Formats: sequence, C-alpha cells, structure tokens
Amino acid sequence: MIKNNLFSFILGCALIFTSLLLPQVLQAEVPSIKPWFKQAVLLKSYQQSFDWLTPWEKREIRTQTGMALVVRLPLMKNSETAGTFQNQGLHLLTTAEMVADATLLEVTRKNIRQPFQAKLVLMDYAANLALLNIEDSNFWDGLKPIEWSPVKSKSKADTENIYSFKIKSTQEWEVESGTIELMTVGHRGVSDAWLPLLKLSGISKSGQGFPLLQDNETVGMILEAGKDGAKAIPTQMLIEFLAHAGSASYKSLAHRGFSWRRLPQRSTADYFQIPQELPGIWISRILPYGTGSDVLQRGDYLTKIGKWPLSHDGKIQHSEWGLSLFDLLFLDQLKVGDSLELELIRDGKPLVLPTRVSAYEEDGRTVPLKRVGHPPRYVIQGGFLFQELSLNYLSMWGANWRTRAPVRLRLFLEQNKTVLMDDNFKRVKAESASKNTEPATRIVLVTQVIPDEINIGYQKLSNAIVLRINGQQIRRLKDVSEAFLNPEMEFHRIDFLPGSDRLSVVLTVAGLKQSNLRIKNNFRIPKLQSY
Amino acid sequence: MLYFKVKFYFLQICLWTVVLSTAQASSDRIEQSVFRITNFQQSPDWQSPWKLKPTGKGQGSGFLINDDLILTNAHVVSDSRMLLVNKISSPEPFLADVVAIAHDSDLALLKVRDSNFYLNLTPLKLGGLPELRSRVRAYGYPMGGQELSRTEGVVSRIEFGTYVHPGIDSHLLVQTDSAINPGNSGGPVTQSGKAIGVAFQSNLRLNDVGYFIPVPLITRFLKDMQDGKYDGVPELGVETSSLINRDYRRYLELPENTAGILVDRVVPRSSAEGVILSGDVLTKIEDMHIDTAGMVKYGEQQVTFFIEAENRQIGDLLKIQVWRNGKFHDLNLTLKAAPFGAEMRNSYDELPEYLIFGGLVFIALNRNYIHLPGNVTPPLAFEHWYRELERPRTRKDQAVLISRVLPSSVNSGYSNLHNFIVNTLNGKSINTLYDLDKMLKDMPPDTRHVVFESEWQNMPIVLDYKKSLEQQQSVLKRYGILAGSNLSGMQYKGSQ
Repeated sequence: MIKNNLFSFILGCALIFTSLLLPQVLQAEVPSIKPWFKQAVLLKSYQQSFDWLTPWEKREIRTQTGMALVVRLPLMKNSETAGTFQNQGLHLLTTAEMVADATLLEVTRKNIRQPFQAKLVLMDYAANLALLNIEDSNFWDGLKPIEWSPVKSKSKADTENIYSFKIKSTQEWEVESGTIELMTVGHRGVSDAWLPLLKLSGISKSGQGFPLLQDNETVGMILEAGKDGAKAIPTQMLIEFLAHAGSASYKSLAHRGFSWRRLPQRSTADYFQIPQELPGIWISRILPYGTGSDVLQRGDYLTKIGKWPLSHDGKIQHSEWGLSLFDLLFLDQLKVGDSLELELIRDGKPLVLPTRVSAYEEDGRTVPLKRVGHPPRYVIQGGFLFQELSLNYLSMWGANWRTRAPVRLRLFLEQNKTVLMDDNFKRVKAESASKNTEPATRIVLVTQVIPDEINIGYQKLSNAIVLRINGQQIRRLKDVSEAFLNPEMEFHRIDFLPGSDRLSVVLTVAGLKQSNLRIKNNFRIPKLQSY
Repeated sequence: MLYFKVKFYFLQICLWTVVLSTAQASSDRIEQSVFRITNFQQSPDWQSPWKLKPTGKGQGSGFLINDDLILTNAHVVSDSRMLLVNKISSPEPFLADVVAIAHDSDLALLKVRDSNFYLNLTPLKLGGLPELRSRVRAYGYPMGGQELSRTEGVVSRIEFGTYVHPGIDSHLLVQTDSAINPGNSGGPVTQSGKAIGVAFQSNLRLNDVGYFIPVPLITRFLKDMQDGKYDGVPELGVETSSLINRDYRRYLELPENTAGILVDRVVPRSSAEGVILSGDVLTKIEDMHIDTAGMVKYGEQQVTFFIEAENRQIGDLLKIQVWRNGKFHDLNLTLKAAPFGAEMRNSYDELPEYLIFGGLVFIALNRNYIHLPGNVTPPLAFEHWYRELERPRTRKDQAVLISRVLPSSVNSGYSNLHNFIVNTLNGKSINTLYDLDKMLKDMPPDTRHVVFESEWQNMPIVLDYKKSLEQQQSVLKRYGILAGSNLSGMQYKGSQ
C-alpha cells in the first residue's frame, strides 16, 4: 500500500515537472516566424510553356506561388553573371520549376504593396535551382542574406525536429514541423540527374523555395511538399551552386559520369575476373559528362572512389549520414574540379586512375532530355514541319508518354541508354571536342504535314524520320535549311527512314516559295523557321 | 502486303461467341445446310509457354459446300480440342475434324465423322461477287438466342481490309449492313439462293457494319487445297507509295495520262525480288491499269492492285508493267508465299517453342507474345518490326529472348529479368531457339560460364554452366514443368 502511494507520488511529481518544462522546451525548439516574416519574399510565377506539337504556339498560362530566399553570391572576376549583380551580390534563390518558362516573375514583400518584377539570372534545371535578380534597389532595403548551415543528421542535431512554413494567408503564417526521413540520392527524371536530396516527413503544406530549418538555422530549401512528405535540397548543394553560379563557365553540380550495376552473383564476378570477396560496382555505361567519364570504360569494376571504398551495392560510409549511395560524396566531400583517384579492376587487373570531379551537362544525347526556357526549334518547308526528336516532344503524349508515345520514337530514347548508342556517345564527344559549336547528332522528324496544294498526297505523313534532303544526310535541324538550298534540278527530294508511311516525297522548287507564303498566311504562323 | 507496318486492329473483332444454343427446325433448304459449330478449345499460355490455358467453349457457324465438307472460319475452329456440329433443330451433336485450315484468309473446312450426318442435306452453291447496293441475307447462330438467325441488308462496300484472325494479312472483304454479330462467324451470306461469302468480322467503332469473305478468296482456298496441302495466299512483296502528288509524277517523268504507284521497297525473298526494283512505278498488273493510289477497277469498285496476286496460286505467273528509267518494261514474275516468317502472323494450333536453361525461359519472339499486355516495348518492337527495315539482313531467323526467370539458386540475382533479347551465347551469334539448344548441348565439358549478351542491355547474363546443368531437372520439377523445351513447333489437334 505504502509502495503504491510512493509510486503515485513520484509519478505525479514527474508529470507536474514535465508539464511545466515542456512548453519551454518547445518554445526553445520552434523557430520564430517573425524574422522570417519580415524577410519573406513571396514569388508568383506566370508560366507558359511551349507547345511542341504546334511549335510556334504557346500553351495555356498557369501560375505558381512559392518563396524565394535572399542569398549573397561571391563576387567573381571576369564573370558575365557577376557583372549583372547589384546590391553587393544579393539575389533570390528558388527552384527551377518555379521559374521554368516564366513570362512574368513577381515578388512581393511584407508591407510593400507594389510587387517587384524579378529577372531570371541563372537556371540549373538539372539541379532544380534558379537565381533571380531585382533591379529596383528599393526592393532590397532591409533584406539580409540567409546564413546557411549544413544540415545535420538526426543523431548530431540538438533536436530531431526540422521546420518549414505554411502560408494560411498573406498575413498569416504557421510553422510546420517534421523530421528528416533520410538523406538520399534523388533521380530527376526530366534531366536524368542523380543528386543528393533530403526526404522529410511531416512537412506537407510548405511550398517550393521555402526554407528548411534545423536547430534554428537554415539548412536547405524545399523543392516540393505534399501529403507524402517533402523533398528539400540540402544546404551543402545550395552553397556549391551559389559558389559557382557567378562563373560564366558554370554547367551544373558535381555528378557521376557513369551508370552502374551490382554484380548479380558469384559466377558473374568470376567471369569478369573479379576477386570474389572484393566489393565494388560494375560500370554499365559511360555518360557523355560527369566524374569518371573520361577514364572509365564499360565493364570496369569500380572499388574505391577517392578514399571511400564501395560496397557491393554502391554505398560508401559517409561521416555524417552513414551508409549511403556514393553520389552523396558530391554533397560535401567532392567538388567540381577536385582531383580524385578511382580504384578499379579492368580485365582482371587492379588500376588506379586519376581524374577530376566534373559536373552534369545537358548535351550529348541523341534525344535531348527535357529543357525549359528554350522555344522549340522547327523549320517549315512546303508544309512539312521539321523538328528534332526530344523529350519535350515525346512529353506531348501526356503523363504516360513512356507507354503512349509512338514506339518508333521511344526506340531512340531507349538507345540513349543502351550499348547501341555507345558509339554515338563517343562520336558526339569527339565531335564536340573538335568543334565546340557543333551540336550533337539528333533525330530529325517531319512531325506533321500542314495541308497545302503542294503537299497533296503526302498529308498522312507524321513522325517520319528524315534521312536525307536533296541527297544530303540530315543529322540535325540546322541541316534541313542548308539542304533546301541545294535542290536536285527543279525538285526538292526528302527521303525517310523505312517504316514511315512513305519513303520519299518531292516538292517543286518553283512552287515552294508560294506554298510557304500560303501556309504562313492560312495557318497564321508567325515564322516558318524558329531561328 | 502490309509487311512490317505496325498497325493494331483492335477495332475489328472476330464474330465468335461463347454462347451455346439449340437450333430450331426450318424448312428452308439453305437453313438445313447451315450448322452450329461448338469448339472446345485450348490456347497456349504465351507467358508460361509450357502451359495451356483452361479449356473454353466457343460457338460459330458453318455451311455445307459439297457432299461432306463444311466451310467455316479458321477462327471458329482454331486451337480445338473437340469440335461438335449441330444441325438446325437437332440437339444431337456430331464430332467433326478440321481437314483444311487457312489462317491467312480465315477459312477452314470440316468433315463430320459420322456419314449419316450428311443424309438429306443439300450443299450450298457458291455465287459470285455481289453488286453494290444489292440485298444479301446472313445465316448463323449469333448471340442473343438459340435459333438460327437470318438477317438482311445491302452490300455497302467491297474493298481490301485487315483480317483480324491472322492479324497481318489484308484481303478483299465485303461490307454489309446486315446484322452480323458474334456467333455468325462461318455462316453463309447468300444472294439468290447461293452463298456469296462467309460472315467473319465486324467493326466495333461503327454501327450496323459487318464483313464477309467474298467468293474469290473462298474459291482460291478450295483450289489451293486440291492437292491436299494448303500453300497460302501469294504475296507480291513490295511496299508502295501513292503518286497522287502531281509533282512527284513529273519528277519521275511519267508520261501525261499515265498513272501508277511507286515501289518504295522490294521485300527480300518475295515474288518481286529480282524482277521489280525499288523506284519502279507499277503501271499495269495483268491488263489492268493501276491508278495513282494503287487501285485497279474490280467490278464496280476500285480495289488495290494486290487483288490480281491474291486471286492466284503460288507458282502462277503474273504480268506486270513498270515505268523504269524513262521507259515502260513488261515483266513476268512467279508468285511466291508471303516473304515473312510465321512469327509475324497470329499463331494458332501450335504450342509455343521454348527452352529452359538454368531457370531462364527462352522463347522466340512472335506476334502473340509481343501483343501480350506491356510487351510492345522499344527493344521488342525493334526486333519484331523495325530491324529488317533499319538494318537490313541483320535479322535472325528467330529473335530469341529470355521472357522470364524461374527463380533458383543458379540464377540468383537475375530473378526479375524480363524480355531480355539474347544476341549471343559465349560470343557466338544465336540464330534460332534450336541453335541455342544445340549450342548449349555442344558446350565443351570444361565450360565454366555461359554468357548471354544483348545489344539492348549493358550487362551480360552469366551463369555457372555446370550448376545450370545440375539444377535443370530440379528447377523443372519445382515449377511443375514436364519438358525443358519444345522446339518442334508441333501441331496438336485434340479433335483428331
């Protein structure tokens, strides 16, 4: 009986103590909205993407709202971007998705009724980051750049909670709390980029460009938030972006230059003459860019990146985040330009190859990945609409384009990532090394035939792959215009890859000019050539 | 003639139903000779090629065309394990056998085993090609009732169209607004007391549109079968483009008032190979002028010039006139069978070929497999349709692929593999499944690894050869597979 009373007393005391202490602890953890509210820059983006089916038209306007964070860029010499910087390098940082294909970017601050117009300074679509500037110096009054802190794992942070904001109304904000699920490597499908990414739970109402807070410090920027949680770019990546964004030679963030596979079983290792118990990864494809692409070969067995040994499933022991995919080294250990040694087994022999950490690049693929801010390129001759095959064009078949777009066209995308295209990558690389201005080889299509009397009998053609025009091989859109300068006597002849609705068409040289004029007027096409 | 063109004809459906009905007596002489056919069929499971799907029961129609032969559609009697034929108003089924089948033109002949079946029956005589707008009557056993159905309508079109049953072939067909519904398949379409066609498919997108196979194709089939062997509908083997565009005709310097169609491609091993050239303009076939859309006058209709080939037999001669290098040339060619392999056509009455090694299931790519849900992927589409076009003469006799993996310790790490096109085994090119089987059997005894490589995959598949052999029987036993391979393409006819 006495025991029970004593136990109840102790429990009661503990509860009273806890209830008194708890609000103070919480108060200490939850960041104050006030300083953020003062500094907050809301971004409204009016976006209008291009219509890749009717490439001279634009699609419906849509609007997005989010935030932009005030950042300071290091001033760099001989930098084109830095030359436009004002206000001691203060700029706004947000996501690329917020500003992609924007026709107007408006930013607003608390207590300033007038919105300011922002200008896009730099966009890294692969990393989903964009940098904005506002020329009106009034905008910057009282704004301070964010002081970034590296994001810490749960075990090293003071508290497990992380925070962001949700906007209830323009005057009413709330703090939203959550936790870090994991630091991972995210694959951005539209650009095929693998970059470090924070996955968060509990954060669902925040928005693009919102800050991510940990221990009252800014540790990242929210990319997207929804009922399944949120994703954020960790500070370390943002700092890296900001450090180089002022440089005219900025391409993107550090990235691997290869695809890899784990060895499925012992006999595979045996066949490739790889010591049975030696962990590592099998290099399945060399990318046209990125770290290691200059020294690795398909079939290499990579065992160590710098001082980090690789596991059988491509993981390294990260000092902060534990066992993680090796791409996480690009978070804080490996920077673009750093010297690096790769240890590997090639043809059964160990090798150490020196290289430098290099960045992601957009070009080099036969079918370019999704690009924004660039209008579709096209040429119209005699009603034949010539375009290059691209992910933007394939995306016109909707969200399920990977199964709905014509299989004939998807085939070329598949070849982007198989050994079939290895030679092409090498050729493209060689080409771009020898002539920097020469774009990669592309697939040129007649995507549709705009009806006119000159093309009667050809109007069923669509998505036909162009091989030659007037005998000249067509490797990129630029070749189309050139080839039309050299007709065969009084006719232009276009040849298509077999499997198209027909294999050739001819247009009269004499009738072409008039036809182009008719098509331009009848179909209200502002320009018959996009460039 | 639609060789290698990727077209999907889901809209047209074969008029076969799974409804069993009892025919009612009829005094009509024609009606006495129209039968209800019940097919207990079992088709292969292309996903698990060692298996057959559960038995199904389908119903169609057929009619007597001579003393003891019943004409029907191939799709009514395909994949049959047992065939029953009922006369009108009779509940008594008679066992029947397929004596001839033409999958390319969706026709078949049956014979009832009991000769008493034929007592007091009068065969239907075959008529000719009907005139447009003329009235026709269709007989059969469609869904929606037990009795023989008779419907009437007019002939609305005579043209070339895709036959759904083979999938790839196009032949002459007649369109009518007479109600032709599932179950009508194989029934006669008559005019003036004669059969002028066999009802066979309709179009789901259109109302009141049915199709029947006209008499020329039926008589061609019957003549083809006279030697007891079906050779097939001959193919010319050219791919053509219209010359509707006037400027293109001027470019080719075709004389004024001369029409024709441009030859884009001559298919290897076809009737046209060595006779017709790519770039020729076909101006005449036999004595018929070909217009700029490739049509010739056929009765009241314009139909594609192929009609002249398809009404003939393999081995027959065909006269062609072409415009080549500014001159007309009169040419003769000998008609051959379609220049593509059986894999391009829907397969029936055959068990899939397969080979299991180390738990990897190897099959030969064909039309049935590629049309399974989710299989029209770029690699499979390339191998099935585009390789011959884009990289001529690199096509193997069979495109061999690993369709799936039966998980076992020998193949651990590969268990999720699906549709892996296999190009080489230990560096040697694989031409057919049979080749692969032989290569695996002929491996030197000290072989350590079998390495399957693919142009479509960056990483090869490597298995331990000895372990694969050791585990072969246990893998088969574990997954309930009786045979590790079927490389015979053997016929199976349950009703015989």
